[in-house]
Order: sequence, then C-alpha cells, then structure tokens
Amino acid sequence: MTSRLKRKLGDIGVDVSSKKANENFCLIGTPLPPLEKSKDTGEFVPLWKQEVYDEKGRRRLHGAFTGGWSAGYFNTVGTKEGWAPSTFVSSRDERAKKQSARPEDFMDEEDLQDLKDSRNIVDTTEEMDFLGGKQSGALGDIDPSGINIDPLTNTLQASLLPAPKDSVGAKILKKMGWRLGQGIGPRMSLKRRKEQDAHAYDPLTGHRLTSGSLNLPEDDEEADKHTYAPRDTVVLVVKRKDNVHGLGYVPGLSLQESLGDANSGGLSGPKLAGGFGLGALNDADDDDLDVYEHSQQTHRRRVAYDQIDGDDNDTVLIGFKTDSRRRDSIAQVSTSHFRNGRSVLAGFAVLDAPVIEDKWFPLPEIPAGWKPDPKRVWSIDQANSQVLHTSTQRPESLTHATFKRSTITADQRGALLGETPLPPGPRSVFDYMSGKDKERIQKIAANLTTAPGMTTSPGTSATVPTPPVRSSTTRLEPHVAQAALKGFQPFTTDPVKQARYTAYLQSQADPSALGPLQPLPNQASDVLSKELEDYAKAASLFKPMSGAMAGRFTSAAVLDMGPKVVEGLHQPSLAELEASEKRKKEEEEKAREKADPKVHAATLGMYGPMTREVTPWVPNRLLCKRFGVKDPDIKLPGEVDPSTSTSSGRENDGQTSDLGLSTTKGDSTAGTTLSAAEISYRSDAPRDITNIGLGEDETQGQDTLTYQRPSMDIFKAIFASDDEDEDEEEADDKDEDNEDVKAEKQLVEGEKQFTNATLILDDKPFDPNNFKPTFTRREGKSKEKGDRNTEKSREKKEKEKKEKKKSKKGVLVSFELEEGGEDLEPRQPKDRPLKKKRRKEEDASQAMVVDDPPLKVAIRKRAVDFMD
Amino acid sequence: MAPSRGPQPLPRTLHVVLENHKGPVNVARYSKGTSKYILTGGQDRTVKLWNANLGTEIKTFAAHGYEVLSVTISQDNAKFASSGGDRSVFLWDVATGATTRRIPGHMLKIHVVEFNEDASIVASGSYDSTVRLWDLRSQNRQAIQVLEEARDAIQTLHIGPTFIITGSVDGHVRTYDLRMGELRSDFIGHPVTSILPTQDAQTLLVASLDNHIRLIDASNGKMLNDFTGHSNDSYRCRACFGHGEATVICGDEKGQMWAWDLLDASILQPNPPPKIHNKLITWTEHHPTESGEVITASADGTVKVWRHPVLGE
Repeated sequence: MTSRLKRKLGDIGVDVSSKKANENFCLIGTPLPPLEKSKDTGEFVPLWKQEVYDEKGRRRLHGAFTGGWSAGYFNTVGTKEGWAPSTFVSSRDERAKKQSARPEDFMDEEDLQDLKDSRNIVDTTEEMDFLGGKQSGALGDIDPSGINIDPLTNTLQASLLPAPKDSVGAKILKKMGWRLGQGIGPRMSLKRRKEQDAHAYDPLTGHRLTSGSLNLPEDDEEADKHTYAPRDTVVLVVKRKDNVHGLGYVPGLSLQESLGDANSGGLSGPKLAGGFGLGALNDADDDDLDVYEHSQQTHRRRVAYDQIDGDDNDTVLIGFKTDSRRRDSIAQVSTSHFRNGRSVLAGFAVLDAPVIEDKWFPLPEIPAGWKPDPKRVWSIDQANSQVLHTSTQRPESLTHATFKRSTITADQRGALLGETPLPPGPRSVFDYMSGKDKERIQKIAANLTTAPGMTTSPGTSATVPTPPVRSSTTRLEPHVAQAALKGFQPFTTDPVKQARYTAYLQSQADPSALGPLQPLPNQASDVLSKELEDYAKAASLFKPMSGAMAGRFTSAAVLDMGPKVVEGLHQPSLAELEASEKRKKEEEEKAREKADPKVHAATLGMYGPMTREVTPWVPNRLLCKRFGVKDPDIKLPGEVDPSTSTSSGRENDGQTSDLGLSTTKGDSTAGTTLSAAEISYRSDAPRDITNIGLGEDETQGQDTLTYQRPSMDIFKAIFASDDEDEDEEEADDKDEDNEDVKAEKQLVEGEKQFTNATLILDDKPFDPNNFKPTFTRREGKSKEKGDRNTEKSREKKEKEKKEKKKSKKGVLVSFELEEGGEDLEPRQPKDRPLKKKRRKEEDASQAMVVDDPPLKVAIRKRAVDFMD
Repeated sequence: MAPSRGPQPLPRTLHVVLENHKGPVNVARYSKGTSKYILTGGQDRTVKLWNANLGTEIKTFAAHGYEVLSVTISQDNAKFASSGGDRSVFLWDVATGATTRRIPGHMLKIHVVEFNEDASIVASGSYDSTVRLWDLRSQNRQAIQVLEEARDAIQTLHIGPTFIITGSVDGHVRTYDLRMGELRSDFIGHPVTSILPTQDAQTLLVASLDNHIRLIDASNGKMLNDFTGHSNDSYRCRACFGHGEATVICGDEKGQMWAWDLLDASILQPNPPPKIHNKLITWTEHHPTESGEVITASADGTVKVWRHPVLGE
C-alpha cells in the first residue's frame, strides 16, 4: 500500500493495520511482496522532494543552492566531523617526493573524463595537422605548373617526413643504415646508379621518373669515387576504384581543368588555414578560413573536405598524398597531345612506340599415351642441379636445400666468403717447450715405454685412421698395439670378439711372429676390414697413456659388464628347455624336501608329534582372570626363572595326591584348581611387578633376588596370621568332631599341613628333608595347638587351613600387590623383628627358618628345570 | 527300543521343519539349560529364535546388515552373541531383542563367535585371520588379546574352560592353553571348518575340507580316528558328536546326514544316508542332553529337527 493510499484509507476510516485490510487474496502463485516492504520507486514525488544522487551514492544538488553541484561537505568547507583547522605538518620531507601539481590533480572525475575525451580529439587532430602542415608546406614548393617538382624538395620532403609509424621491417632497415628515400640493397657505383635512374619509371603512370634520381654535376670528379645507395623504388599503390566516376575524371576539378587548361583554374573555394584544430572532421567553417595566407594561391580549388571522397576522411595524409600524386600525373599527362593535336585524356598517356601484338603459339601436341610423371622431372631437375653444382662453384646458385646438402665445412665456407679464419684452438703444452726439454721428455718416454721410437709429440697421427686409406687403418704401430694390449679391454662382454681383438693386437705388435688376423669363416672381406678398422680405432682409443703423462691421469672405470644381449627373438633350444625343466623339477623337489615335514606328515596322515608345534604363548592376564586360570607367567622361551612356578594345577593335584593329601578329588575340579592356582598366582604376582623396575635385562637383579628372596615372608605371614587367628581357629577346632586317629596326629598332621601349605604357595615338588626345620617350627606351633585342642580331624583341619590361608593370603597378597611385590624385601627386615616380637613363643625356631630360604631357592631351581 | 548294543542310531524321523529363513541358514544352535529352543542365523541377516518342539518362530532378531555366520548363547540364556559380515560382534539381549553392544574391531567378516563359560569373554574369529578376545565385563573397547598366529581365515572356534581352540583355513588347529601358557598348533593340512572337543577335552573332532573328519588326540596331536564317506570340500559343514559322544554326526554338501561310530569309524546305517535337505547342510547339532534329537540347518533355508519315531504314533 502506498502512503497515499494509506492516507486515503485512513481518511475514510479504514483501519489500515487491520487484517482485513491486508488480507491476501492470492490463491495461486506467489503473492507480490507487501508494499510496505518494497519501496515504490515509481511513486510520484514532487520535484522539490526529489533527491539526486550520483553514481557513488553521494547526494547531489542539495542545500540552499539546489541546482548547483555540491562542493565539499554539503557545500561547506568542513567535513562530516566538522571543521577544524589543520595542524601544521611540515612538508619538507615530502618535498622530494611531491610532484609539481598539475591541473588534473584538482579535477573531478567528470572533468577528467571530459579532458580525456577531448584529448583524444586533440591527439588525432595533432597528427593530422602535423602532416597536413607538411603537406601544405610541400605543396607550397610545387611549381605552379605542377609538372616539375624540384627533386631535391621531393627528396627532402620524403626524407623529412617520418614514417607515421615505423613497421618492424622499417626499423630494422633503419638500423642497418637505410634512410628514407633510398632504395634497399648494397651501395653501388655511380654508373650503376645512373643506369637505375635512367630506367626508373613511375609504376602508376608508366612515365619516366626523374624525381629521386641523382642530381650531380657532370664534371664532378669526386662523384665517381663514391658508392651510392640504390634508387628508391616507388611503391605502387593502386587505388581501388570505388566510385562511379568515369576513367580519368578527377572530382573537384572543373571541366576546364580536366581538359588541361591549367591557367584557367582559379581560386574558387576558400583557402583554409592549416593549423591547430583543423581536421578532416571539421567542416570548413568561417573560422577556419585562411584569411591571411593569400600569397600561396594555387590554381586548384582546394576543398578541405571532399564530400565525394568520403572514404578519405580518417587518414587524411594518404588522401592528400595520393591526391597530389594523381594531380601530378594528371598534370603531366595533360600536356601530351595526339599527333592530330588533340590533347590526350587525363590519365592516359600516348605511347611512343606502336603496340606490338603478342604472338601466340599453339600448344605442342601431346603424344598419345603420355602420362605425366613428375618424378622423372624431379630426377632431371636433381641431375641438373647437381650438374649445376659441380659446374658452377658459385654459392649464389645453391638453393638452401642443396646448400645444406653440400658438404662444405664452415671453414670452407668461410674461405669462400673470404672471412678471416678463426684463431686455432689452444696449443699443446709441447709447443711451448724448448727443443731441449722436448728431447729430454723423449728420452724419458723412451726409457719408460717399451717402444723406444715413440714420439711424445701430439701429432702422432699415424694411428689416427683416415677413412679412405685402408692399409693405414688396419695397421697399427707395434708400440701402440702393445700398449693397447696392456690397456683397457673394450670387448670384455663379448669373449669371441675380445679374443680376436687381442689376436689382432698381437699380430700388430709383432708382425713378424704372427701373421695378420685371419678372417672368420664365411666372413666377407669388407666385413673383415670393417672389423679390423674397429680394432684399430679401439686400440688407438684405449691404449694407455704413454710416458710421463701416464702417471698424471687415472682413467675413469667404465666397464660394460652388462649381460650379453642376444639380438632378435629368443628361441630356446630343446636342450635349454630340458635343462630348465630339470632345474625346475629339482627345485620343486628341493622345495618339497625343504617344506615343513609336517606337511609331508599330514599328507601321509601321520598326525602326531610331526604335525604338532608347541610354542609358548602368553595369555593376557585379564584373560586368565576371566577364565579363572592362574597366569602361567610365561616369559621369554628358554629363560630359567628360579622363582617362576610353571607347574599346572594338574601337577599340583598329582603331587598332593601323591602325598596323600588330596582331600577332595583326584582329578582337577574347578574348585581346587582355582584355589591353588589363585594362591600361586598371587604369590607369583609380585614377581612381575619386580621385573618392571629391572629394565630389559631380566637377570639384572638375579643374585639379589636369589639372595634376598626367602619365602620368609610367606612363612612369616602364615605364622603371623596363624597367631592372629589362633583364637578363631581354636574356636572352630573345638566345634569340630574328630574321627581320625590321634596317635599320628601331631607329627603327621603338622608335617602335612605344612607341606601342603608350601605346596599350595609355591607349587613346587620338594624334598621333605629340606622342610624339616620348618616342620619343627610348625610342630612347635601345632604342639601348642595340640595342647590346647587335641581333637582335630586331619582332613577338616586341612580344609580349614586351606581356607584360612586363602583368606589370609588374600589379604596379604593384596597387600603385597599394592606395595609392589619384591619391594617388600627391603622392608622385610623391618617387619620381621616386629613380627618376631609378636611371636615371642617361637624364638627358638626362628634361626632355622632363616636358614631355610636358600634351600628353598635351590629346590625351586631344580623344579623349574624339571618343568621345562 | 531295544537295549542299546553299540551306539544309538541317529534319529532320522523329521519332527518339525523351521522354515522362515529366506536364504541359507548358516548356524543353528541349541539354547543352554534344557535346550528347548533353537537360535538360527541365516543369510537373510536375521537371527531367529524357535521352539524346537513346536516348530514355531518365537522371535526374530534383526539388526545385522549382512549375513549372520555365527551365534553363541550364554549359559544363562539371557543373551547371545552373533556375528557375520558386519565385521562387528553383536551382543543381544534375548528378552528385549535388541543389541546391547556391538563390538567393532575386525577388519573383515567374522566367521565365528563364541562365549566362554560364564560369558565374560567373547571370542571372535574372522576372515582377517585373527581371533579377538573381548572382555564383556568392562567397557573396554579394545580386545583383551588378539590371537594372530593363524595365517588364514579363522573358520571355527571353541572355548573350553582353560583353553581356546581355533580352526583356520591354513589347515591348523591351534590350541591356546591358558594354564600351560602354550600354543599347540596341529597341522591338519586342509582348511579346518569345524572343531568340537569331547567333554573331557581329551580329543578333538576336526572337520576339514578334504571330506574327512578326524578325531585328534588333544594331548599329543595324534589322529585317533578318521571319518570319511561324506562329501565336504568347499563349505563349512559343522560336525558334532552324537549322544554320549558315541557317534559322530555330520551333514554334507549333498544334503545327507552322516553318522559314524566313534570308535571304529564305521558308517552307521543307512549307508549311504538318505538326502534330507535339498542343499548342503551347514550345521548339525545334537541336543546336548536328550538322546534322540538332532537339528540340521541347511542352505535350502530350512532347519529340521530330527527325532526318533515316537512309539505308539
């Protein structure tokens, strides 16, 4: 809704903001956006309300002076922030950088645009005017008759007029010394130049041209001594005839003028002043009329802008030039007359000589059956050219291709061209030596080399073969051959060739002893000679450095040790195939033999030890925990850890049963194994933790371990806990009913209880003798117990013990685990006295217990050995 | 039935057909306990729970994006694990029918998955030739241990109380003994597709892709018996023991169910056995407790429950 509509509606009394007023009736399609949101640009605004903005969004035409351009900030001298006097800033430093202010610096962009536009016009007019001025100047020199233009003037004009735009070719020519007005080519003698001048014709009209010819006095003696540039060839500019005038009609010429009445031509048009600002586009206005230049009045009417020659409007220079030339020629022609006295039409010339009709010859008769054969022509051509080449040695006669084909070297070419030969390459060291030195070196060389006649001069060209002479190529100096025999062997990859090479060298080294190299069977003589040539070349190439120079160089070792390449398709022979097959079979057999015997055994069905591989495998501890299995504590294979208990629960059970202690079952049930395993696992757990601190070397703390590893703490723990739990045990024991024999009770019970405990703890086979000390101690304890309570059932007790130990162990072991296993050991001495103090009644047995550990260790070691 | 002389004959009377799977059934396993139910996993990416007696489908467990290749059931029947082309082990809650956990980690499809006794560990053997042992008690995402000894795909797996036996396509049966801390690898020479130890874990029933089923002495790796006659050289056909471990049962690739005497390896009558499935029998399982019930899962999309003919019918 427009504001006006709103107002109107408001006037009527409609609530504009109500929903009804803004109800949308659009059912199909996208409704137009509400009018409030889109500014109605087409809405009528009175003139005084209209605002003008420039393309940059700045407001224009504002303020009280509406209608003018804004200046500054809203026509004030201030800025948006207000006006403030600028603080003084020294421009001294900036002075060097500052350019002198140009008017453009103070111009608006519009003005700059204007300037730019105008400058374009100025530029074109400048160019035009410059040329036009020249033209007018040149025209001023023209003889009123228009026939003879002063040649000097013409030349000057031509030379002074710079080419409006030098083409690249012109630039190059100028750099090469060419000047405007000269012809292109080498400078020539006066005689030839005069000849040229004599033969010069205007290509447009066919008339003899005198302009541009040498203007020399006949008696000038010096003239003959100079060379002259060739005559300039007038470029034939053929103007396209794009008008409908008749031939010879010159627009702008009056009838009389065209008829040749030169004198009748008067000044019929206004003379325009050449100068600044007058261009082709400008009409001949009153302002442009040359008011002052009356002196140079020509007979022609000059029109600044020829309406008919509309195409001339952009390049006035050419227009003028051609125009003038045309007029020149017209002027020339207009003087000629026919013999009968009638003047020749403008643009036409009267021939001096009668026209000779061209003679026409009939085509030669083509013989029947003839077919064009260009090849024959070419061959003839080639033959001709060869003949030409051989007959005439002139290089000018050679085409590029033939020249390329010719075998003339650069030097020969230079000689032909008369160039001074290039300075020769650096000379040999020997050239700088005095004769005496040379002799001395020769002597040294003679002593060193086997060949006394060897010369050290660089020109030992006897070995260097020249192609055409065969005898010299296949023949080697004996010393060279000998040297080559000692030197590098080039054909090591081809033994046959090498053998022939050596044979050749030997034959050359001692021609009298050995005959020349015999050709191979069915080897052609030319092949042989080629081979010998190769050998000679190789020998001269690879002969070792001779004499005194030999020690100064080391040859780079370039050995072609690559495999021998057989040319052509490889076709294996039958023998080869058989050999390869045999080899393959052998390999297969070998592989079969080498292959695992277990594969063999499996194929034979001999399953058993052959097919079985047993390797240690370390299950994850968590896995063992989840399976309820003791961590087997397998370490590196082959390592003997005295404290490692690798005995399985099964063995453990076996031992206990052997000892008559198997209380529950003979075979390993989960319960017993679990308990036993758990205990042993926990007793072993600290070991792992200890090993952590010992680094990579597991044997690092071995001796200390063996020394300090008593099972003391275990025993101690057992006893300590026993002491602590004594009361409970007693209470339990009292409740139990006893069915076992009491007689063997004390001894047997005590021993077995103890051994059982150790077994559970250590999982080791043992020698009962070794445990005697502990037995006594234990006995003492059990005796005490027995004193108090003699009615213990053996098995019950056994069970009880186990359980108790388990629980106690659990506490103890968890403690140990927390403390970090073997770290307990330093602490042991501390603990022990404490516990000792607690266990006052066992003082006597202590010493024996202390003695115990080494024995135990020894047992363990043995046990491990057995296990593994 | 006459008092048994020698091994009991194989139940060969079709009791019920379970045929809701679209496509081959790869695995069929009895539930634990009384084993009234059967879990089957098929190529149709579902695991189905059946009542073996009535032959009704109880539930469909659909979460797999690829075929189901293996199913294992926990001892309490509360959950089961399945695996297949998803490269993840799926743990399911039987009651809700939703996956409780998905264990990624394998690079390729998992051929076999197995719980240990208390379902605290699940082992998965994969085509990527590894067996990964996952702890289900902790939320650890990493496998407890990876058994990488196999040189080829693991096809079968068994977890005993203290050992893990794997059968691989590289022709080895590997026994990882946790207690001994050693790995005993027995070379069979042909891809091993099925392993089942006897109850006393003294012998192993090993089926390999050379039409042989071998009874291997677990202690020294010697072959005690060799059961042949069936054709099994390209598919995994699971062999099992009959009741009381007196017989060996295996379905073959021709759809026949073979039975051998365990001791003398003679094929039980009828010989040759009738064709009971249109396609190969992928899985044969004897009822763990009942004497006369065998289920066979086949590539023809059916699982069949076989029983002895009930007298008086």
